[in-house]
Amino acid sequence: MASSVILRSTLPRTFTSATGRNSLRLALQVRAASSTTQYVPGGPILKGTVNDPTEFPPPSRTHGSYHWAFERLLAASLVPMTAAAFVTSGSSYPVFDGLLGLSLVMHSHIGFDSMVVDYVHKRKFPVLGPILTWTLRSATVGVLVGVYQFNTNDIGLTELIAKVWTA
Amino acid sequence: MQVLAKTARASAPRFCMRSFASSAGRCQATPIEKPVLNKEFKIYRWNPDEPASKPTLQSFTIDLNQTGPMILDALIKIKNEIDPTLTFRRSCREGICGSCAMNIDGQNTLACLCRIDRNPSKNSKIYPLPHMYIVKDLVPDLTLFYKQYKSIKPYLQNDNLPEQGEFLQSQEDRKKLDGMYECILCACCTTSCPSYWWNQDEYLGPATLMQAYRWIADSRDSYGAQRKEQLQNEMSMYRCHTIFNCARTCPKGLNPAEAIAKIKLELAAD
Repeated sequence: MASSVILRSTLPRTFTSATGRNSLRLALQVRAASSTTQYVPGGPILKGTVNDPTEFPPPSRTHGSYHWAFERLLAASLVPMTAAAFVTSGSSYPVFDGLLGLSLVMHSHIGFDSMVVDYVHKRKFPVLGPILTWTLRSATVGVLVGVYQFNTNDIGLTELIAKVWTA
Repeated sequence: MQVLAKTARASAPRFCMRSFASSAGRCQATPIEKPVLNKEFKIYRWNPDEPASKPTLQSFTIDLNQTGPMILDALIKIKNEIDPTLTFRRSCREGICGSCAMNIDGQNTLACLCRIDRNPSKNSKIYPLPHMYIVKDLVPDLTLFYKQYKSIKPYLQNDNLPEQGEFLQSQEDRKKLDGMYECILCACCTTSCPSYWWNQDEYLGPATLMQAYRWIADSRDSYGAQRKEQLQNEMSMYRCHTIFNCARTCPKGLNPAEAIAKIKLELAAD
């Protein structure tokens, strides 16, 4: 809640003070046309008459139930995986260690992605939204590469946390 | 009122002698003088005729002992006796029409079902439903809410009509609708949902989703697959993050969050 308010109120101001006022205002502050409403200050412009129902986006299971089921199963499977990581040591089960690292990164990617969709969706923020989506994607890929490197060439995730724990 | 009562009392003995026997008892009874219990109400005011002026909180003080027990009684008293320009929706005054939904002391509820807190040292704040476009004072614009409700086709769809008579339903199947058909569409739950605040143009909101499930769960409806298929996208339903504000605020004690959880489960098992 707070983050979206800050993003909406301060970002346009800092940009506009520095550079061309109108173009960035248009791009950042005035929300773009969405599928059902077009934002104008002071009230919604509804598509169709008041008696027309709102429309649904085209159905897609990848974005619907598959995504949800995958997200929940992943979150649930992280519980026994974390517990197992406490019992065993990562260096004796390198595959398990890698799986834990992959699951953690995917779990947090889905979480952050959900925040982007909630608060900076591209229909409202046509510039900032895609920037954040691609920042998140590249960060996730970077972290995955890092985890892979760390797990193959160094002590691995579980060992690291155990080390930090005792240090 | 008071002036009338005084003159009536002054002329009581003479009047009594000339009145019918049945009204004598009324003359003898002394009215109970209740102490004055003043309470402050702070009410959101915004007038569309002055679009440049910002919304304000206007303070009204009324005597609770001369008012009914509910917030709606206080609002009607203020409108009748202090400020006739105060605008709000009300109809049935018994929690079945859903007109008087508003935000009272930080909670979305029906003014007619919400008792006045009789502590005179604390004021009561009354706002319209949060995060909605305001028509005037306590009246929000519910057009989008109704359009969304219409989009889920809230009526029976079945191509196989029974040859004779009505659709029959077992008692167990009928029981599945309990806790959903009672919804009066007051929009308390929908406007309490943070996801609806941020994405109301795309996300349907708890009230509409519970009604969507009400028709999915109905054994007489044969369009369940189509109804479910509509929700298979990122925005319409999956913006629900199980915040449970809807279940907490519902003035009818229903649980929209449970209905949404059931849709999600059915979609996942599909």
